[in-house]
Amino acid sequence: MEVRGWLLTSPYLLYSLVFFLIPLGWSLWLVFTNWNLISPRIDFIGLENFVKAFKSARVHAAFLSAYRIMGFFLPMVLVQSLAVALLINSLPWGRAFFSVGFFMPYLASGVAVALVVRGILAYNSPAAPIFKALFGTIPNWFGHPVLAVFIISLLIAWKFSGYYALIFLAGLQSIPKELYEAAELDGARFFTKLFRITLPMLYPAFYTVLIMAVGLCFAIFTEPFMLTGGGPGRATHTWYLEIYYQVFQNLRAGYGAAISFINAAITFTSVLIVRRLMQRWGRALGYE
Amino acid sequence: MNRRRSTYNAIKYTAAVVLLLISIFPYIYMVLQSLAPWDQVNKVFIPSRLTLRSYIWLFTGTEALVAKPWLRAFLNSVIVSVSSTTLMVLSAAIIGYALAKLPFRGGRLVYDFILFQMFYPAVILLIPTFLLVKAFGWFNTYWAMIVPKAMSVWAIFMYTSFFKSVPQEIIDSARVDGASEWRIIFRIMIPLSKSITIIVALFLFMARWEELLWDLVVVQDTSMRTLNVLLATIQSSYNPYPGPLYAAATILTLPILLVFLAFSRHFSQGIRLVLGK
Repeated sequence: MEVRGWLLTSPYLLYSLVFFLIPLGWSLWLVFTNWNLISPRIDFIGLENFVKAFKSARVHAAFLSAYRIMGFFLPMVLVQSLAVALLINSLPWGRAFFSVGFFMPYLASGVAVALVVRGILAYNSPAAPIFKALFGTIPNWFGHPVLAVFIISLLIAWKFSGYYALIFLAGLQSIPKELYEAAELDGARFFTKLFRITLPMLYPAFYTVLIMAVGLCFAIFTEPFMLTGGGPGRATHTWYLEIYYQVFQNLRAGYGAAISFINAAITFTSVLIVRRLMQRWGRALGYE
Repeated sequence: MNRRRSTYNAIKYTAAVVLLLISIFPYIYMVLQSLAPWDQVNKVFIPSRLTLRSYIWLFTGTEALVAKPWLRAFLNSVIVSVSSTTLMVLSAAIIGYALAKLPFRGGRLVYDFILFQMFYPAVILLIPTFLLVKAFGWFNTYWAMIVPKAMSVWAIFMYTSFFKSVPQEIIDSARVDGASEWRIIFRIMIPLSKSITIIVALFLFMARWEELLWDLVVVQDTSMRTLNVLLATIQSSYNPYPGPLYAAATILTLPILLVFLAFSRHFSQGIRLVLGK
């Protein structure tokens, strides 16, 4: 038993040594150096990378863009996924069909979707007359900082709403029917039931979804890489774009590694704050 | 009452169908544009007739002098994604079995370490793993795209929790019959875990097929790029050819969608396991 257990898990041990522990140690060393990937000279520069990163306007932009995207993305994805889950749950038949259907956007490659979105939002696209009729002019979607953030957030919300809807759907299906029956006897209307029963009972689903959704905002790469390149004016300059730019364009490996540490720390802190807030809400609802 | 209910249902289904059409609209648009005659691409929603010209143009060199790396890129994607996913699923099943069903000293520690690695921020590992792969001499090779993604701690975790729910008697009686551990894994455990294998394999394959950042940085030659990376990097030079770009995007998207739809019968069962509900 002993030997077999170790033998069968040995591929993992080897893998995590080479592709987890060694890179981990290496990154701890890299952040204190000024290595630029080509120069044979590597200086130990202490905390200088971190000092530089904290002062950098590009890093500030990345820091802000994560929250800017979050500000659009969270309400969009929550409303979309909750609406889809409530709708599917209320259908007498065909729930499996619609769950599968609404999940399909999750399967799309961001690259392919970006191509389609750029086509649709182009100045001379077939959709342009519609925008013109709606807004009086064809918006310059990627030339305006708010619109660009809006489009990027919408794309990510589109991708994830079907996935989160499934989490909400599972939550909805675990709510006991008796609760609604009792409320109906008391004459409760749709909105009373929604706010007094459904949403509070969905607390565990909200918890899961919010933590996933918040964490996601710090790791966005494909959509801005494809559509905006971080612009306009660094409005959509995300953490991953900055890391990619510093390491793989500028070849500043040490500096980039320091930024990835800062990114990880800020992600962790933000998720922790959301967890605390959620737990407070949970306690108010009687969850432990 | 009854009539009111059926009106309600009609509204609900109409809303569901309309919403569904909106959410798959980018797919519909993509496929229609890829089949449109070239003078209609990006100009109309529904082309007046359909043609395969964009697809043929992608894979043959007859119409322009632009080098066409698409077929090679598609093969690269297949090679990388299939081998990476196979390795991830197999290793996860074997390791998950050991952790769930072979009580050995230290097993608990290995499991805790897997959890630690699962929640460790991957972004910190990106740069040193890149340097490591370069030091191995794997830059610009399949190895760089396959080996660092040959194991998934998430998949190990999924199999471990699933195998824990398999009754120990099944394994014990197989052992009494003299079955080896390999036989138990491949003849009993994996067939038992069909629903989870399908969903885990689908998620892993999708993530691998659509990886951008890693495949972008470890490969420089156009001939070694995956389809996803090629499509992401070549767009500016293909501006005069929007039709073929839509065709490439369709080729990139359709395999995942078809595999998903083929296995969608197992989907609701499997996704519940993934979501932990």
